[in-house]
Amino acid sequence: MSIETIEAEEIDVEEVLGSAIERREDPELVTGEGVYTDDVQDPELAHMAVLRSQYGHAEIDGIDTSEAEAMDGVIGVYTAEDIDEAGTPGDLPVGWLLPDLKTPSHPILAGDRARYQGDGVAVVVAEERYLAHDALDRIDVDYERLDAVVDPKAAVEADAPQLHDWSEDPTDTDVRDDEDIERVPPNQAFDWEIGDSEATDEAFENAAHTVEVDLENQRLIPNAMEPRATVAEYKPGTGEVEVQMTSQNPHLHRQLMSAVLDVPEHKLHIVAPEVGGGFGSKIHHYPDEALTCWCAMQLERPVKWQATRSETYLTDAHGRDHVTHAELAMDDAGTITGMRVTTYAGMGAYLSTFAPSIPTYLYGTLLSGQYDIPAIHCNVIGSFTNGAPVDAYRGAGRPEALYVVERLVTLGAREMGMDPAAFRRQNFIPEDDFPHETPVAVVYDSGDYEPALDAALEMVEYEELRERQAELREEDRYLGIGFSSYIEACGLAPSELAGQLGAQAGLWESGLVRVHPSGTVTAFCGTSGHGQGHETTYAQIVSDELGVPYEDIEIVEGDTDEIPQGMGTYGSRSAAVGGSALATSSQKVVDKARTIAAHLLETGEEDLEFENGEFNVAGAPERSMTIQEVAQQAYLAHNIPEGVEPGLEETSFYDPENFTFPFGTHVAVVEVDPESGEIEFHQYAAVDDVGNQINPKIVEGQIHGGIAQGIGQALYEGAVYDDNGTLLTGSMQDYAVPKAEHVPNMETDATVTPAPHNPLGVKGVGEAGTIASPQAVVNAVTDALQPFDIDHIDMPLTEEKVWRAVNGSEEGS
Amino acid sequence: MEFDGAFELENTTVEEVWLALSDPVLIRDSLPGCEFLIEVDDGDVDFEEQKAAAAERDAEPTGDPEVIAQRAFEEGKRYAALIEVSVGSVNPQFQTTVTIDSREFPEMSASGEGEASGSSFELSSGMELEETENGVTVEWWASTEVFGRIAQMGQRMINPVANRVVKRFFERIQERLEELTLQTDGAESMVDEESDSQGLSQRIRDKIGI
Amino acid sequence: MEHDITLTVNDTEHEIAVEPRTLLVHTLRDALGYTGANVGCESSLCGACTVTMDGDAVKSCTVLAVQADGTEIETVEGLAEDGDFHPIQEGFRKEHGLQCGYCTPGMMMTARELLEDNPDPDEAEIREAIEGNLCRCTGYQNIVNAVEFAADRMETDAANRDIAADGGTDRTTDTVEDE
Repeated sequence: MSIETIEAEEIDVEEVLGSAIERREDPELVTGEGVYTDDVQDPELAHMAVLRSQYGHAEIDGIDTSEAEAMDGVIGVYTAEDIDEAGTPGDLPVGWLLPDLKTPSHPILAGDRARYQGDGVAVVVAEERYLAHDALDRIDVDYERLDAVVDPKAAVEADAPQLHDWSEDPTDTDVRDDEDIERVPPNQAFDWEIGDSEATDEAFENAAHTVEVDLENQRLIPNAMEPRATVAEYKPGTGEVEVQMTSQNPHLHRQLMSAVLDVPEHKLHIVAPEVGGGFGSKIHHYPDEALTCWCAMQLERPVKWQATRSETYLTDAHGRDHVTHAELAMDDAGTITGMRVTTYAGMGAYLSTFAPSIPTYLYGTLLSGQYDIPAIHCNVIGSFTNGAPVDAYRGAGRPEALYVVERLVTLGAREMGMDPAAFRRQNFIPEDDFPHETPVAVVYDSGDYEPALDAALEMVEYEELRERQAELREEDRYLGIGFSSYIEACGLAPSELAGQLGAQAGLWESGLVRVHPSGTVTAFCGTSGHGQGHETTYAQIVSDELGVPYEDIEIVEGDTDEIPQGMGTYGSRSAAVGGSALATSSQKVVDKARTIAAHLLETGEEDLEFENGEFNVAGAPERSMTIQEVAQQAYLAHNIPEGVEPGLEETSFYDPENFTFPFGTHVAVVEVDPESGEIEFHQYAAVDDVGNQINPKIVEGQIHGGIAQGIGQALYEGAVYDDNGTLLTGSMQDYAVPKAEHVPNMETDATVTPAPHNPLGVKGVGEAGTIASPQAVVNAVTDALQPFDIDHIDMPLTEEKVWRAVNGSEEGS
Repeated sequence: MEFDGAFELENTTVEEVWLALSDPVLIRDSLPGCEFLIEVDDGDVDFEEQKAAAAERDAEPTGDPEVIAQRAFEEGKRYAALIEVSVGSVNPQFQTTVTIDSREFPEMSASGEGEASGSSFELSSGMELEETENGVTVEWWASTEVFGRIAQMGQRMINPVANRVVKRFFERIQERLEELTLQTDGAESMVDEESDSQGLSQRIRDKIGI
Repeated sequence: MEHDITLTVNDTEHEIAVEPRTLLVHTLRDALGYTGANVGCESSLCGACTVTMDGDAVKSCTVLAVQADGTEIETVEGLAEDGDFHPIQEGFRKEHGLQCGYCTPGMMMTARELLEDNPDPDEAEIREAIEGNLCRCTGYQNIVNAVEFAADRMETDAANRDIAADGGTDRTTDTVEDE
């Protein structure tokens, strides 16, 4: 049953936390008032368009822009040469380093060579939107096409066409000075491992049973509904650059862009207006946003760039792209004793902002799943390929990991002849074994996996369902039940650890809570929501902490001039890290208010009780002050304690102790028609433990959307490049974003195991569904196809692939 | 992408078809969207200039083997063409250059490349003629690499377009052949004594490689 | 070579000169300031730009402004009346039928057309009706619920109007109590 929402006016502060309050974001979004980047208008606005390489790999021998420049209404045409001449650094930085990582130069416009289809070659700025695109057609680029490589595994073979010429890359001093350079395969970005290789090999030597699988976690294209966009304006008088852009993290964009454009950080003002979805794709620093700012600075005119959908297909950072061999070792009782994984991870043509961390620290570290596995070893080889850069996409490394784990575990159960639910249960980390340190370097701080599995089994009436499956098979109908007992690690933390692992940024979050003299509140947070309902949930948190009515609280996000600092919204971190920052700041506000109240009520601080926004003297309830009254006194400052500053606002930089570890079990029930390869959902049940829920309706929405995106991966989506690096799935017609009819009704339930280390006991929820659902679906389909002896089919499970698998065609892929 | 197929041309002979397919003007007229097709030197081709020059030349298709022989495709020579192809909503005009790689009766092959704004292709292709009961079978094959905007639409769009172009091309060749046959007969008196039943002199045969 | 056209948008008449190739969505957004309809794909596949033209839902990214000359256009900005949400807007809010909101204006215009043709659609009919409108955030389930909510609300509102018109006969009162 779906959760009913409650109107904000009906809520008391005592029950504000945990209530399904209607979102306060919605009124302006359902009326068209909300302002997205492309809605920003200015009479002086000029429009930028980007000419992109039509080849996956080509030398650029020359660019003739003269015809385009001569067009009426064209204001400027620029190439890499112009960026160089202006003295702009123009090179995009990598935000996460690994040992021996190759960091080739990533210029905002390609100069000598284009390395993927979509690599920017030139930009046009014109008076009008269409005209800018017309002018692109008049630029003549002299390309010399080169051979390309698109497969992550083939890219590191000795004869693969090499994307980056290390020895001649002057920026790459590490590589240039490395005498061992000849031994490194072409295109290898890194060779990374985690876990104990010897112990793992030993586990396999001693195993009574082993299973193995070769699988691909296909390249995906995020497809936020709003394509990326930027409006930039340069103020010559002050040297400031005002930027409105589709960003999940304006402060981070400010920091990076400051270096790319050589504009001091305090002169860059970045605002994320309404942002139409991100799913990771609006975290990263792309060339286009910097180019828009650069053009605005060159021309001293406001400039707008709005990507077309084709451009988002070509250039938004893609996700996944793993080619993996994985093995599981078990003893003769079906207890898992080891796991061994080798993965080739495609990075695309350049390293996107956080790309190196995704298939390494966000992937290898989750390979223990919900299971007590004594030995795990994982080797990941990252490779450059002639495709769009790959970076965080909803889940980012964790869906890839859990897909491996849950496919292996399903195959393990099959090998042992055990029920897949029973096999999982037998291998779960027991409830009394937390905190649990895995062999892949993380400590799960909390967990209780059986209740979630039990709840899921109950939702699908598991025993009856297995009986029904057997009955249907008698009629040549193929029902399949697929499990996914997943874990995720979100709210990446703490900063010190991240730094040791190579992060070039901290992973704290800032929150400022300002109580105004009248007692209303504005709270500022460095996260940057783009559909998650932060204005609602953060107001619930602050209302609960301060006892100030929900409607008296305003939340501000996504503006570098208003908010102290910030790390943004990604990795399911906002509630756990940003929410905790606001809770911590609120508690500091209460502490200061308590000091002032004690002074005014002439009592000791320890004698004051604070409840629902009111300070009461213990045992003398008539002596009380509301926090609003305290605020007024704090600003009047006529009578505040000595040593206490006037005013009532507090900031904190909250740096969590650890990740949070949401978990759950999803069960997909499908029927497969072997004649047609068609897959039909009978049921989809999801039990998720995301800790305490601030707003259950918003949690439900995140779970729904996440599951749908995972089902998209399982059944429909996949980016396909041909051998030349040409994207064959470059439109919504060729890349199947699920439609309403493709997504089943989802039944959701929850268990609650609060996160032990943050003040709210919350975990993350934004990515849970996407991490959980692909393997639930694939496990269900292969379960249905057991009579055909099919153990694995690579995603997406299109009708054709399923049909080919059943009908044993050699052409099946 | 690989394409191949066979096309039946009726009431004709291998020699006639060879003659027809040797004529750049006839090819130009039969190839959908082809604005001009002319021989060019190596090096960069100025398509604007060639377009103007081609308009002036005003060559007409003919059944006269003498005329065809004068302008017939030759092995190793390079030709330029401007070809508009409609793929869905885009109609790029490809500046195409093709080199005749081999021409040995009754087989020929050619390779080349085409460029349009935001799209391009590379092509190698060939055909072989074979006498059948009713006429001639043209077995053809082509291997292409397609880049940019057009390729992005995927095979969904390109396969049907390629098939449409090839089908129309051979249909027009069939139509022209019917005219050509008549003219070849009519031209018989004008050619040398040693002309055979097809009305082609050895000189012409040498020139067009039969 | 601009053409003078007349567009009536949300009951306001506009006369405007447009190029022959200008899309309706850009005319609405850039020239007239109705930025509610969003551009998501420029190829009529995502539906974010859906508006109604003479009552029919159209993808305004594949309609030329000149084709819309003389028509009545309604955009999301015209849904609410006298400051009151349309039941569809109410439904999207109550049922959490939106997250980032980018697809929402188009989705609601499509839903409105559906409910005009079919005031009581079942789940399958709703899913089919919105198949030309993509949403990447919600997984569609709460959108379906939002449209069902709107259908119920519109039925109740209609019944209430009947009561007002009939002076509250027994029959219509019963209908309302059934709700």
